[in-house]
Amino acid sequence: MSSTSASRPSDLKGHGFLFQQLVQRELRQKYQGSVLGLLWYLVNPLLLLGAYYLMFGVVLKPGFSHPAYPLFIMTAMVVWLFVQQTLPAAGDSLLAQAALLRKARFPREIIPTAVVTVQALTFAALLAVVAVLTVAFRGTLGFPLLLLPVVVLLLILFVQGLALAISGLHAHFRDVQPIVGAILVPWFFVTPIFYRPTDITDQSLARFALEWLNPVAPFAEAVRTILYDGNVPSAETLVYLVVVSALALGIGAALFRRLQRDLAVML
Amino acid sequence: MSGGYEQDRVPAGTIELEAATRSFRVQADAGRTLKELVLRSGARRKGVRGPEEVWALRGVDLRIEPGETVAIVGRNGAGKSSTLRVLAGIVPLDGGVVRIGGHVAALLDLAAGFSRDFSGRENIMMGGALYGLTRRQVEERLEEMVAFSELGEFVDLPLKAYSSGMLVRLAFAIVAFLDADVLLIDEVLAVGDGAFQRKCEERIAAQVAGGSTLVLVSHDLSLIERTCRRTVLLEGGRVAADGPTEVVLQQYVRLLEGEAAPVRGTDHLAEVAAGTTGPVTGEDEA
Repeated sequence: MSSTSASRPSDLKGHGFLFQQLVQRELRQKYQGSVLGLLWYLVNPLLLLGAYYLMFGVVLKPGFSHPAYPLFIMTAMVVWLFVQQTLPAAGDSLLAQAALLRKARFPREIIPTAVVTVQALTFAALLAVVAVLTVAFRGTLGFPLLLLPVVVLLLILFVQGLALAISGLHAHFRDVQPIVGAILVPWFFVTPIFYRPTDITDQSLARFALEWLNPVAPFAEAVRTILYDGNVPSAETLVYLVVVSALALGIGAALFRRLQRDLAVML
Repeated sequence: MSGGYEQDRVPAGTIELEAATRSFRVQADAGRTLKELVLRSGARRKGVRGPEEVWALRGVDLRIEPGETVAIVGRNGAGKSSTLRVLAGIVPLDGGVVRIGGHVAALLDLAAGFSRDFSGRENIMMGGALYGLTRRQVEERLEEMVAFSELGEFVDLPLKAYSSGMLVRLAFAIVAFLDADVLLIDEVLAVGDGAFQRKCEERIAAQVAGGSTLVLVSHDLSLIERTCRRTVLLEGGRVAADGPTEVVLQQYVRLLEGEAAPVRGTDHLAEVAAGTTGPVTGEDEA
């Protein structure tokens, strides 16, 4: 018992190359042999963005309006897409790499982390496109932009925490990933992407719930505030983001540590 | 309950098991879906017992010195493969400690983890990374590995194009050049053609001559006689015999003959029947 800590292959140093190889493989495997290749990582989300805009901006005219509505949507939507694409992919990751887990000793965290990294790279690329467009059209070039990397980093840590928890749990209970997939659908609609909570309700309780109970909402709103409004997110928002990402990462990592023990035997 | 895996607290090439304990349960116990979990907890309340534990290691003490060549033998399900996985640090102990000195290379599931869409060269990079090498270390060894594998131009083709023999050659070539202090080999040499097999044996012999420790699990008695001076016989998760290969193998053969008379392999069938639908979790029947 005393040597439990030494028994865990938790030493990340010395496994940097493995991590790098996994990220590379993950990036390339998906679209290997396709003409657009890596560009698919950007094409898909952009098509989705376009479809959502058509649906909510053109077809179903909402009862509120925001200038440059596509940009209003996109600046929050990129955040959501990152969450939506990463969680199911991470859930599956340990199962998909079971052969590697059975073959050698290495920190198991590497596998879901590689998935998150690939998605984070995609997210960063997409965000760069959206940021350039939004700043150009909205004229929001200014010092609030300096906060964007901070918010992005916190978001990635938050998602990493969820990814660790989901991947570890899914390895034990195969219902977890389908449950996550099912939750993502309503989660999307309660996330203020096409609207701001003030647009759709006057009730302060409902507004509070929309703004704070869903941890993705403050992230999306922070990115939108910075890019679309050209403002600094409120202090309480920033504190919230720090707390929620620290919590997610702390709980996710602790959970994973408990669940990773027998992966080579179970999978 | 959990045991320890300690690296580099003993001299390079040393292997030490101390009261090492590990058991497996038959798969269905794992509660793969929430539904099963609910059903299982219901069953437990009614006093239905879970599947029996299968002991792979049961308080095993074992010390292997640097440069020794050791074979592990035993009947199916005796815990041989699990022992290798424990030594490799892939499967944790339930109790006790395993201490390994230096770098370990395990030849288990040889071609597992290869990606069919990538070339042999790319899979070498991945394989090296998996064993904890840096990019530079793999690149330094790359040409040696390619030459050893005798793949020629195939090394730049995706693995889809490979025969199974080529896969084995590639897999072995990677592990053969890891410069490990401890080599763990599970049955894998039985594959591939005779000429390549001899080449692998020579390579292993060269590494042993260079001071590496070898632990081999095999059913091939003549291979054991050729490569290992010491043999450990496992029985029910315990060390039933440990000594010079020629002595222990005789005992092993008697054991096999003793059980061969009635119906061979009944214990495994009984295990499956008594347990459940699933295979034994440790897939520990090699």
